[in-house]
Amino acid sequence: MIWAKEETLPRKELEEIQLARLKETVTRVYEKVPAYREKMDRAGVRSEDIRSLADLQRLPFTNKKDLRDNYPFGLFTVPKKELVRVHASSGTTGKPTVVGYTRKDLQTWTECVSRIAAMGGATEDDVAQICFGYGMFTGALGLHYGLENIGAIVCPTSSGNTQKQIMYMQDFGTTLLVATPSYALHIGEVVRQMGIDPEKDLKIKIGLVGGEGMTEPMREEMHKLWGNDMKVTQNYGMSELIGPGVSGECLELCGMHINEDHFIPEIIDPDTGEVLEPGTKGELVITCITKEALPLIRYRTRDISRLMYEPCKCGRTTVRMENLSGRSDDMLIIRGVNVFPTQIEEVLLKVPEIGAHYEIIVDRKNHLDLMEIKVELADESLLDSYAKLGELERKIKTSLRVVLGLDASIKLVAPRSLQRFEGKAKRVTDLRKS
Amino acid sequence: MIKQLSVFVQNEIGSLAGVTSVLKDNNINLRAIASFDTPEFAILRIVVDQPEKAKSLLSEHGFAVKMSEAVAVELIDKPGALDGMLHVIADAGLGVNYIYSIVVREGKVPLMIINTEDLPKTAAVLREKGYTVAEQEDIKS
Ligand SMILES: [Zn+2]
Repeated sequence: MIWAKEETLPRKELEEIQLARLKETVTRVYEKVPAYREKMDRAGVRSEDIRSLADLQRLPFTNKKDLRDNYPFGLFTVPKKELVRVHASSGTTGKPTVVGYTRKDLQTWTECVSRIAAMGGATEDDVAQICFGYGMFTGALGLHYGLENIGAIVCPTSSGNTQKQIMYMQDFGTTLLVATPSYALHIGEVVRQMGIDPEKDLKIKIGLVGGEGMTEPMREEMHKLWGNDMKVTQNYGMSELIGPGVSGECLELCGMHINEDHFIPEIIDPDTGEVLEPGTKGELVITCITKEALPLIRYRTRDISRLMYEPCKCGRTTVRMENLSGRSDDMLIIRGVNVFPTQIEEVLLKVPEIGAHYEIIVDRKNHLDLMEIKVELADESLLDSYAKLGELERKIKTSLRVVLGLDASIKLVAPRSLQRFEGKAKRVTDLRKS
Repeated sequence: MIKQLSVFVQNEIGSLAGVTSVLKDNNINLRAIASFDTPEFAILRIVVDQPEKAKSLLSEHGFAVKMSEAVAVELIDKPGALDGMLHVIADAGLGVNYIYSIVVREGKVPLMIINTEDLPKTAAVLREKGYTVAEQEDIKS
């Protein structure tokens, strides 16, 4: 179901809305936020220079560092008393990134999430179980209000205590699951271990996953555990921009529709900052054009994607962003070769003899980078001989070499022995940094 | 022919004990055990009195387990007995993949557990030469 008429506007009409909102936002941040004024002055660009959408390129970027430098409220355009909510996302080091919402921002957020949930098939008849961790993260409350707005019954079970999650699924007749893809897989595994057949014993038919990217093989894994009838879509967002609700997959599964009347996307070359042609892969940059409290201008997401303007079968006219092929932050440089963990995941998930979980350990010995990948043995028939297990290791190694152009050592470990995650999975350990 | 279990174990402290404690806690008797010195992981071969029950319990505890058959032959306690048996197998053109033994059998002779690429043929050539090939019931107690 298409939730809002803004999702099907002719491009010209949409662009008129975008331009008006962009002009208004840029003028506002220049007036209200000293950090933006300084940046724009330094770049020699004034608010009135923004006459077309193409002029967006003249504005300086905003980075995560800008949020940290102005911690906690320095980039906000409204006085504190107009805020009604704050969230924070923790970084690996130092202070978290703090984001704020006015009452109107919360309405915008709810609207954006409702659209995305509807894209994934959610309706007022759903019983939605939210297995994202509540708290300072935006994921859980974002989906919570969006689904409530649709009219679904929202069960804020939060993450963790998987057995109890499953009890609620059975007792409430949960039809819609919200989780990170890794946690959804973990719950699925436990469901199967308990001898429950999700297709017969549970009512779950919709999975809205987010918080981390989902590769295609991971979606297949999801169907293996939860059944082929489950509609699994992923959605995208980040707290700096609004939280979840920036974009989401429709049931055609051909990329994530961006709520373009609220967010203007660009793809840039991460090294030069240059805007790339539509259809080219690069770093996603987003400008918020309807936010009151924290309208970030040209925010560098560090996520790698591609924009697709071709019409979608679902009827929406909004641009689609290709499912993420990694974060420029996550990129590993191993022996001079750029490696995205998602590339490794795609290879591993196509090997039926091993499970869906894995761990990547990168280390440096005698000035040489070494990559070890731990995978769980799933196919018990290989236990006949060491030769068969050795053959499996070689097979994985060869497929990785084809994709990455690198040799990795493969370590088979026992089923269910690798760590399971209730939030975002942390599958890479880079010992070279410590 | 008897049933053996092949269990995937990681080369970590306590990983073998992990297997044996599941068996002990469920009153399953271990008759034979074999494992080799390998750097990363090992395939642990075990013979127990209740193989089906042991397999499902070990799976529940997160072990990768395969149940398969093996030939168990009685070994007469005299010099050259094993040599004679291995020659019977070799003369039939069969290669031994691995071999281990059940020594303690309450007054009975030891059993050698043998895996080759052709188990029925191995059992047949041994029987032909007068060896006693044991069945699963023989290792109950
Ligand atoms: Zn669509």
